[in-house]
Amino acid sequence: MAIRIVLAGEGGQGVQIIANMLAESAYAEGKEAVYIPNFGVEQRGGVSIAYVQIDDKSIGSPKFPKADIVVALSNRAVDRTRQYVDERTTFIYDTSLISAAEIAEEAMGIQAIEADPRSQRTTELTDSTKKKDQVKLPENAANTIGIPANDIAKNELHPRVFNIIILGTLLKATAVVPLERIKEAIEDKLGAKFEKNPALRELNYKALDKGMSLVERLV
Amino acid sequence: MSEKPVKGSRRVFMTGNEVCAWAALAAEADIMYGYPITPQTDIMQYWTRLAPKYGRKFLQTEDEISAGFTTVGGVIAGKRAFSATTGPGNTLFQEPMSMAEMMRIPTVVIIPQRGGPSTATVIYSQQEVTMTTFGGNGEGFRIVYSTAGHQDLYDYTIKAFNTAWKYRFPTFVLGDGYQAKMREPLTIYDPAERGIEMVKTEPLVGLPGTPGVDRPVQYLRNTYNTEEELYDVVMSIAKDYEKAAPEIMEWQDFDTDGEMDVLILAHGVVSRAAQGALPLLKDAGIHAGHFRPITLRPMPEEQMRQAAAKAKRILVVESAYGQFLKLVKEALYGMDKPIDTLLRPGAGVTAEEIVHRIQEGR
Repeated sequence: MAIRIVLAGEGGQGVQIIANMLAESAYAEGKEAVYIPNFGVEQRGGVSIAYVQIDDKSIGSPKFPKADIVVALSNRAVDRTRQYVDERTTFIYDTSLISAAEIAEEAMGIQAIEADPRSQRTTELTDSTKKKDQVKLPENAANTIGIPANDIAKNELHPRVFNIIILGTLLKATAVVPLERIKEAIEDKLGAKFEKNPALRELNYKALDKGMSLVERLV
Repeated sequence: MSEKPVKGSRRVFMTGNEVCAWAALAAEADIMYGYPITPQTDIMQYWTRLAPKYGRKFLQTEDEISAGFTTVGGVIAGKRAFSATTGPGNTLFQEPMSMAEMMRIPTVVIIPQRGGPSTATVIYSQQEVTMTTFGGNGEGFRIVYSTAGHQDLYDYTIKAFNTAWKYRFPTFVLGDGYQAKMREPLTIYDPAERGIEMVKTEPLVGLPGTPGVDRPVQYLRNTYNTEEELYDVVMSIAKDYEKAAPEIMEWQDFDTDGEMDVLILAHGVVSRAAQGALPLLKDAGIHAGHFRPITLRPMPEEQMRQAAAKAKRILVVESAYGQFLKLVKEALYGMDKPIDTLLRPGAGVTAEEIVHRIQEGR
């Protein structure tokens, strides 16, 4: 079965690394896999998008119009990935980084006129209190799942394993590769560091488990 | 002699740029000249990391004009030399590549196309087709392989060196930013184990013996004094090119047997979308075929015409605004076939978009 995944976040959130690990594990599992990073002219910053396709058959074009799973890890990432969502897509976002827009009382006036989700974000002009940015999530997804991965990473584990939590979530959602393969991919990337500090291995495995506990199998 | 970089054959999962570096190593390339530009730079980076282990060389030049001319120089010195560039860098390469056409210098250049015109994007396009096939102030006496993925990049980078040295025309491997940056599986191999023998290289100047006595005089010229002189030279290159063309041209066709409702013409990575569209179209009751020229120069015109003759309509699909279309029109000149287009300059094309385009046209 073919699975198409779009992963997007801010540069530095580790989106490309986990996309690569997922594709690599699928390849190691004997599947066809294509991973392509989207990159801009900027040296750092900006939205980072990764496209992953995993299939039993050989894979056609590296990009695709709609994804089975879209993971967005920042407000801007939500905007950039909206186009890949349709009625079959599972949309996963981080509730600790993104809050879905509600009709805020102070914004009532402009909401009726401007449907553009940007108008619903807090701005310095309309909001004096500093709040989490709000963004309108895609409304056409089959499922929309919010997970507090960033909070869990910060409070229960370590901020640096944020992306590994996401990887765990993806793994559980897609069941596209066995956990063991992902562990091998992590070992491949971080093996040298684990040698020096075995606690890091445990931390990464915990992050994987945690990520897996946040969702059910979806695809 | 250092050990072989690729022994036997093995399955790997790599980026396209990494594939090109390994292919050049396996093809016994001696030296790469280059100037960095995204999305090509990783070829240089992989090469500089790997080359010293196998006794190969690298020179970073001050710009692409220099990278092109030093590649020409390396070849003249008898080295299996190559370079890689893209976008505005490819523009600058046209001057040295014109010289290579005139002097029959077998350079190899890998082009992972980025968006254009000008700086544009560092991501992807098929907008360097016109420039790579017919750039420079000449007649397009060059060979251009348009690859569709990582296996192609490996196979045709190796082949490019042999085609260049066998026929003595500058040869290009025309990829794109997607192929450069994406990772997918392929098999890398030692060419010798597949019966591929690398064409021997030799210096084009400084040969032993007295010129005119022991051996013919080597006239490596790109400057001529009279119209007649130049005319004779260009006509002789044209004759050689036309003679070699049928041996060089390559193509693939998919489901082109029998009457087709539509024949999809696409090259490079877009061919993968076309191949993906065929089963979807079949399900929708449309008999579609696909013809993919692998060499854009020389173009397998006769083969394309044969496929086109069996189709009611033609659909040309490319990530450019009509550059491949122009080559198609030239190939199909005189045929009475309606041509539809799906032109997406600087943007990827998916199988679904091709299906949609065909269905909306009905």
